[in-house]
Amino acid sequence: MRWMPVEPKLSHTAAMILQAIHAGQIYGFSVMEMTGLPSGTVYPAMRRLERDGLIVSKWEQASIAEAEQRPQRKYYKLTRTGRATLELIYRRYPLLERMIPSSPAGKA
Amino acid sequence: MVNALPVSRVLLLCASFLAPPEGRAEWLAEWEAELWHVRRAGNGHAGGNQPSHREPGRKPGREPGGKPDAAVRRRRLTIAFCLGAFPDALWLRRNGRRQAPHSAFYAGSALRCGLGLVTVAAASMLLCCCLPRVRKALLPPPYRDAASLAIVSSGGYSASQLPRVRLSDYQSWRTSGRSVFQEVAFYRPAAASVRIADRSETLTIARASQNLFALLNLPSAGSGDLRTAKLVLTYQARQRLFPGGSDVMGRVVEIAGQPVSIAGVLPRNFWRLPGRMDGWMLEGEQGLDALPPNSKGYVLARLRISAFAGGSDGWRSIVVTRSGGEIDRFTCLSLARQSRQPFSIFLFTLFLACVALPATTPLPLGDYPEHGVRLPRSIRARRWIFLAAKFVLVAPAVFFCSVDLAYGVSAPGSPASFYIQFASSFIGLLFAFRWTLRDQRKRCPVCLRLLSNPARVGQASRNFLAWNGTELICAKGHGLLHIPELPTSWCGAQRWLYLDPSWRGLFSDGYVTAGGAV
Repeated sequence: MRWMPVEPKLSHTAAMILQAIHAGQIYGFSVMEMTGLPSGTVYPAMRRLERDGLIVSKWEQASIAEAEQRPQRKYYKLTRTGRATLELIYRRYPLLERMIPSSPAGKA
Repeated sequence: MVNALPVSRVLLLCASFLAPPEGRAEWLAEWEAELWHVRRAGNGHAGGNQPSHREPGRKPGREPGGKPDAAVRRRRLTIAFCLGAFPDALWLRRNGRRQAPHSAFYAGSALRCGLGLVTVAAASMLLCCCLPRVRKALLPPPYRDAASLAIVSSGGYSASQLPRVRLSDYQSWRTSGRSVFQEVAFYRPAAASVRIADRSETLTIARASQNLFALLNLPSAGSGDLRTAKLVLTYQARQRLFPGGSDVMGRVVEIAGQPVSIAGVLPRNFWRLPGRMDGWMLEGEQGLDALPPNSKGYVLARLRISAFAGGSDGWRSIVVTRSGGEIDRFTCLSLARQSRQPFSIFLFTLFLACVALPATTPLPLGDYPEHGVRLPRSIRARRWIFLAAKFVLVAPAVFFCSVDLAYGVSAPGSPASFYIQFASSFIGLLFAFRWTLRDQRKRCPVCLRLLSNPARVGQASRNFLAWNGTELICAKGHGLLHIPELPTSWCGAQRWLYLDPSWRGLFSDGYVTAGGAV
C-alpha cells in the first residue's frame, strides 16, 4: 500500500517524542526519561500520534514479562508514515536529530 | 513515612474512572506496568530501599543541606508520574468516543431527538411535582365522596372563587334545599386579631359552621363540645403562633375578644377550596346568626346524587324554591370536576390545535417516489412510527409546561389559571405540531438522520423549464432532498431522490483510520 508523507504540522514536543521512539525508546517511561517531559504530556501526545497513524502500539509478549517477573508492557514503534514524517520534521527542527540521536536500528 | 505505592495506586484507580469504560482495563494495565518501572527507576536512583541513617538534629526527609532525601524524591517522582494519568484519561475520553461514529447518539439522530423530547416532558413533570399549587391542581381532592361535594356559587363559574353567597341564603337552603342538598356548610374569611398570652397576631380567620370539616371527611376537627366555638388552624399558622413544636390542642386563644379553644391542626395541602385562610372558627348556628344577614361567604354542599345525574361537565345550574315562594338560581361546581379541569382544558386545546394546524402549516411531508428502489416494510414503517412517537411525546411536554405556567402564577380554580393554561396549551401545541412536521421533512426516510450540507442549486427565479432551490443530502448516502424555491406546477413540494447503494462509497463517516501502518 502506498503511503503519502503527511505535511509536518507537529509541535516540537510531538516531534521530540517521535524522535525518541525512533531512537529506540519504545516505552512511555523511557520516552519521558529521554525527553524530560512529564507523563501528562508524553502519553496524550503518543495517543495523538497513534491516532494520526505515525506510531503504532503493541503489547509485548507475556512470556517476556513473566521471565523478568514484571507486568506486561506496551511498546510503540514508528510506522512508515511516521518515518516519512520524521524526515520532513528534520527540516523544520534541524537540531532535533542532534538532541536525540537516532539509533542504528531506528535508521534501518 | 507514607508509602507512595498505595497512594499512586489510588491515583491511578481514580484516573481510570475518567477513561472510557470500554478501554479502561487496558489503559489501567498500561499505566500500572509503567508505574512498576517508575518505582524501580526511583529505587535504583535512590540506591534501593536502604533506610537513610538520620543524623541527630536533621529533619526527617531531609539530607544535610536541606535537600529532600532519596525516599522523598522517589515518592514525589512516583506521584508526579501518576498525576499525569488524569490528562491522559481525559484525552482518551474526549477523543476516544469520536472514534465510534456508529453510536446511536450522534447529532441529528432519531434517538437523540426522542430522548430530548422525553427529557423535556420529564423535566416539566418534575417541576409539576415540585410546585405545590400545581400539585394541588392535578391531584384529586382528598375528601370523602368528592364527586358529590360542590361549591355553590350565585355568580356562575367565574364567581366561585369569590365569597358571593349571602348568609341569609345559606340559612334558607339549610331547610328549603333538602331536595337538592344532603348537607350544607358555610364559611366567611375575615382578618382577625388572634391574641395568645401577651402576643397578638393578625390572621385570616374564617367564621364557619361546625359541620364544615365533617363534610370534608375530617370529623375530628371541630368535634367535642358544640356549645363553644372551636378553632382549627392550618399547619403554617400553627408554626407561626406556636413555634417550637409544643402541643396546641385545647389551648385557649382570643379572637376579637372571644376566647376560643384550639380543636385541631389541618394537615398540609388538605385545603383545596376557595379562599386562603390561616384558621377556621367553627361556631354553632347561634354564633353565625350574630353575623349580618348580608355577609357574604362560601357555601360548601354535599349534593344528592340526582343533582349531577346524567352529566359529566361538573357543574349544574340549580333552582331552589324557598318556603315563601321565592326562587333561588345558583351554580354548583363539583370539586372532583375541578381536579380534572387541567386535563379537560388540555384536551380541548388539543382538538383546537389539530383543527387549526392545516391553516398554519402545510401537512404533506413531500414526495418520496420509490422508482427502482424497494424499501423493506420495516424501514417504511419506522418512519411513520417515528412521526407518531414525536406527536405522542410533545403532547405531555406541552401539557405539563402549560400547567406549570398556569398554576405556578395563579391559584387553582381561578379564571386567570384557566385562561393562562388555555392560551399556553393551544399555542404550545400548535408550535409543537408545526415543529414535528418540519423536523420530519428534514430527515432521511431510511435512517431518520437529519439531512445536512444544504446547497443552492440552479439560478434564482429561473422557474421556466428550469429548477432552482436547495438540495440536502443524507450523510450516509441514502438520498438527496430537493426543496424548490418556489412551488411550481411540476415541482410543488420537496422531493426525495433515493440513491442506490453504489453511491455509499462516496459518503464517509468522517473517521480517519490509522492509515499507513506497517
